[in-house]
Amino acid sequence: MSTQTGHAATGSDERATGADLILRGVSKHFAEFTAVHEMDLTVPSGTFIALLGPSGCGKTTTLRMIAGLEQPSTGTISIGGTDMTRLPSHRRPVNTVFQSYALFPHLSVLENVAFGLKQKKVKDAGARAAEGLDMVELSHLAHRKPAQLSGGQQQRVALARALVNRPQVLLLDEPLGALDMKLRRQMQRELKTIQTEVGLTFIHVTHDQEEAMTMADVVAVMNAGRVEQLGSPRDLYELPRTAFVANFLGKSNLMPARVVQDDGDAVQVDVAGQRMSLPKARAVSTSGDVVVGVRPEKMRIARADEEGFAHAANQLSGTVVDASFTGVSTEYLVDVPGIGQVGTFTQNLGQDPARPGDTVRMSWEPEYTFGLDREEDLEAGVMAS
Amino acid sequence: MSTTTPLPSGTRPTRRSQDLRSPEEVRAEKKRGRMGAWLILPGMLYLLLFFALPVVVLLSMSLFVKPEGGEIGEFVPAWKWDNYLIVWNAYWPVLVRSFVFALIATVVALLIAFPMAYLVAVRLRNYALLKGILLVLLIAPFFSSFILRTQAWKQILADEGWVAQGLKAVAILPQDGHLTATPFAVVCGLTYNFLPFMMLPIYASLDRLDTRLLEAASDLYAPPATTFFRVTLPQAMPGVFAGTLLTFIPAAGDYVNAALLGNNRNTTMIGQVIDSRFFRVVDYPGAASLSVILMVAILILVLIYIRRFGTKELF
Repeated sequence: MSTQTGHAATGSDERATGADLILRGVSKHFAEFTAVHEMDLTVPSGTFIALLGPSGCGKTTTLRMIAGLEQPSTGTISIGGTDMTRLPSHRRPVNTVFQSYALFPHLSVLENVAFGLKQKKVKDAGARAAEGLDMVELSHLAHRKPAQLSGGQQQRVALARALVNRPQVLLLDEPLGALDMKLRRQMQRELKTIQTEVGLTFIHVTHDQEEAMTMADVVAVMNAGRVEQLGSPRDLYELPRTAFVANFLGKSNLMPARVVQDDGDAVQVDVAGQRMSLPKARAVSTSGDVVVGVRPEKMRIARADEEGFAHAANQLSGTVVDASFTGVSTEYLVDVPGIGQVGTFTQNLGQDPARPGDTVRMSWEPEYTFGLDREEDLEAGVMAS
Repeated sequence: MSTTTPLPSGTRPTRRSQDLRSPEEVRAEKKRGRMGAWLILPGMLYLLLFFALPVVVLLSMSLFVKPEGGEIGEFVPAWKWDNYLIVWNAYWPVLVRSFVFALIATVVALLIAFPMAYLVAVRLRNYALLKGILLVLLIAPFFSSFILRTQAWKQILADEGWVAQGLKAVAILPQDGHLTATPFAVVCGLTYNFLPFMMLPIYASLDRLDTRLLEAASDLYAPPATTFFRVTLPQAMPGVFAGTLLTFIPAAGDYVNAALLGNNRNTTMIGQVIDSRFFRVVDYPGAASLSVILMVAILILVLIYIRRFGTKELF
């Protein structure tokens, strides 16, 4: 397992206050299954990190262990060098925005927001809470009860209630899950803006890859209780290290291959009788049987008999099975002998390159090829995403 | 709530202007309305016959008087307000004692019932079988006769019983002390007999308690005790409120516990007096005026209680 956990330094060093969150060997076993396998994770102060994965992957359990609502079976959790593992949740400098919002129904919106401040015996709790409400633009609803608010408004109250305490780490447990798509996009932007303004460490749990990619500095893709890969959204997308990441984050064409020649910086692989080049730096393993992959949008497609088409070095030939025109682009499913179906699409530049039944040639630059371990299940993460 | 935003003038929806329903729909709703009236009619009739009418009879009887040389049980109408003064002067200490006993029983029942309800409704929420068994065990005793269970307390508190012996052993109870026929025994009986009325409403409230709110409180720095008083208890208040009323009101008017577990000196409750006025002394006007006093006193106490602790939102 090539778990790429470790020190994910991102461009937020100038804000770093030393309150890094560090998980060491943290695991959680329930009676009959392991929700989280031994996990190491370092989140530098001020980072917006997303824990991304399908339901049941352990991301919420990880969050709850950081919040102190769940006790890890093994390992330690520390914030800013202080061991928090045995501290009860009410003594941790951490606040959570719950998926259900968990607003106190018997308290007004303002009292909800002031709750944490009052517990900390902050002098001007009322004024600070009012400021917090102002930040999420809900001052006019301060004296309502939560039940009188819309879902989006409740969500913002929950956010304000956590943020006013200026926790060292803010935990967000799928806080946008209950909102409709339009509100969701708006809240994503607002959350990102707020995080940039206050400079707090945000840990955002989500199963929505687009949400994770657009909001987070760092994404940790989780699967079956493990972090599969950790990195910036672009790095994860461009260079997935496991089939799960390749399939869960966007789409990938994964093909079994065999290394046949060493070219120094790259290796030559044989994919169902066709030779292609795989840069060593983009390959998990560089000998024997491997899996090569390429993102659909990196490929060009042209009819095999088309003269003078500028093909790239790595090429595949096949027969178009399906072409669906979506306006902006046309998506193709191409049957490649010995591999199966390969997906690709072309931007609509006015051409009409291929129709079902046509024999086509597809190609892409070797630098877009990535290599995975041959043990990988090529279908991992396809259904989950 | 006083925070509803008033609609701008001119857009206030009047029934007529907003009524976009077809005549059929309007007729259908009127029919439903008539149907509702028919459905509540039996209940209303029942209450009229067996509650409103008897109260009127009681009120008038409280002003009746026994005619000169009349037979036992013969009373004639007379606006005799003196009846109230006479029974008040004779029995106000008993009335006060009844309320004190009822109050103690209510508080003790609350202290016993709340943790039990919490255990079953919250702590055992995910253990359906255990929860069911405990609920049955808590309710089962009340399937047996009220009188029988009250009699049993006599045995439990008897001089040779382990409770009395135990208390004597640790010198809480003097060697010549008794537990039976004492105010203590009466309050024990009241507490025990009205416990389910306290527990079930609290259980119902706590059963609906969203435990995620407790996690949220803890996440917002509230230690367990604060979480209890700031979140759990407010959420359980409708049940506590209903339970205390359902315990206090019948306990204040109870006479079985005092009759079976008390003595005739310092445990007499108002229910006993009313009972003996009616059935032994055959002083209907006196019994009736005492009943009215009890009713009014309870009403006043409950109104004060509701004004102080209850809000509309509780219901």
